[in-house]
Amino acid sequence: MSHPQSPASIRKSLWQGMLAAMPLSIAVIPWGILAGSYAIEAGLDMIQSQAMSAIVFAGAAQLVAVGMIKSGIGLTSILLTTLLITSRHFLYGMAMRQQMSPLPLRWRLTLGFLLTDELFAICSETKQHKFDRWFAFGGGFSFYLIWNIASAVGIFAGQQIPNLDELGLDFAIAATFIALVVPAIKTPSILVSVLVSLIMAVVCELFHIPGGLLIAALSGMSAGMLTAKLTNEPHPNKTILTRPGEDQ
Amino acid sequence: MIWLTIILMTVIIFISRYIFIEPKLPLRLGPGMVKFLSYSAPAVLTAILAPIVFIQDNTLHLNLDNSYLIGAVFAVLLILITRNTLLTAVLSMLLFFLVH
Repeated sequence: MSHPQSPASIRKSLWQGMLAAMPLSIAVIPWGILAGSYAIEAGLDMIQSQAMSAIVFAGAAQLVAVGMIKSGIGLTSILLTTLLITSRHFLYGMAMRQQMSPLPLRWRLTLGFLLTDELFAICSETKQHKFDRWFAFGGGFSFYLIWNIASAVGIFAGQQIPNLDELGLDFAIAATFIALVVPAIKTPSILVSVLVSLIMAVVCELFHIPGGLLIAALSGMSAGMLTAKLTNEPHPNKTILTRPGEDQ
Repeated sequence: MIWLTIILMTVIIFISRYIFIEPKLPLRLGPGMVKFLSYSAPAVLTAILAPIVFIQDNTLHLNLDNSYLIGAVFAVLLILITRNTLLTAVLSMLLFFLVH
């Protein structure tokens, strides 16, 4: 099962993974700072605030949960909201099942823990036989480190950086995801999938439909699948997302 | 209470990430399901970014006063021309903060 890799090729994979995750890691820095300072503002102590980033390690869920703690909302509601926000990870696990489930336990636990939107975005293109665990680890772990360092900065700065959330920092996430999604549109059915997902996400958000993200994504995926079937779209290469710089 | 919240959140989130990569989970993905899941990355990432770009203060903003939309269109053009993720992310952020 485990194919031995030379230290040189491991280093190369780690490095490539880190580079692939770099735009995402940079885009997430302001969010990490925000997550840290917001936790302090909500009354968590420094260790609790850092633990949010170090062991929960889920940006959106952290920010929402801290907001709920701050407003004194009960544990059950916080956990249900967490479940709703985190439900997209079920999809990521399923999509990565062929690549990750054959790995040894310690690898599954590590990569499972690191399986964020960002790691999924850089890993999802690799085929089963080409899946490189060190590439995934390099990307996932560098992202984890940067998220935690940024959180620590926010924790130390504390309330000295108010209104960080009004600067339009969410654009960084949008821009990076656009840069990943657009090159992935290689067939008409993927285009349909993306457009349906886009419209559904906007509609769900406007009408405050809970779980809108997942509803939108599943609608888009179904629409893509249906389009491929109706138009008899030939199976292209299975590549969905391409590593930066790989397709020149 | 805060520690309990942190620990239970950790458990829920870890399970959601791990459960489907556990080989003992009795689940075989057929070719149809694999094809379906192949759309998941572009679909989910789009579902995350679309509300950021099109909605501010609970209203749809489809006009050119929306700096998010201008930045997003710029990002689409940049990635089509350069095919470089990092360059696209950085340049479109710069433009965004200029117009924002």
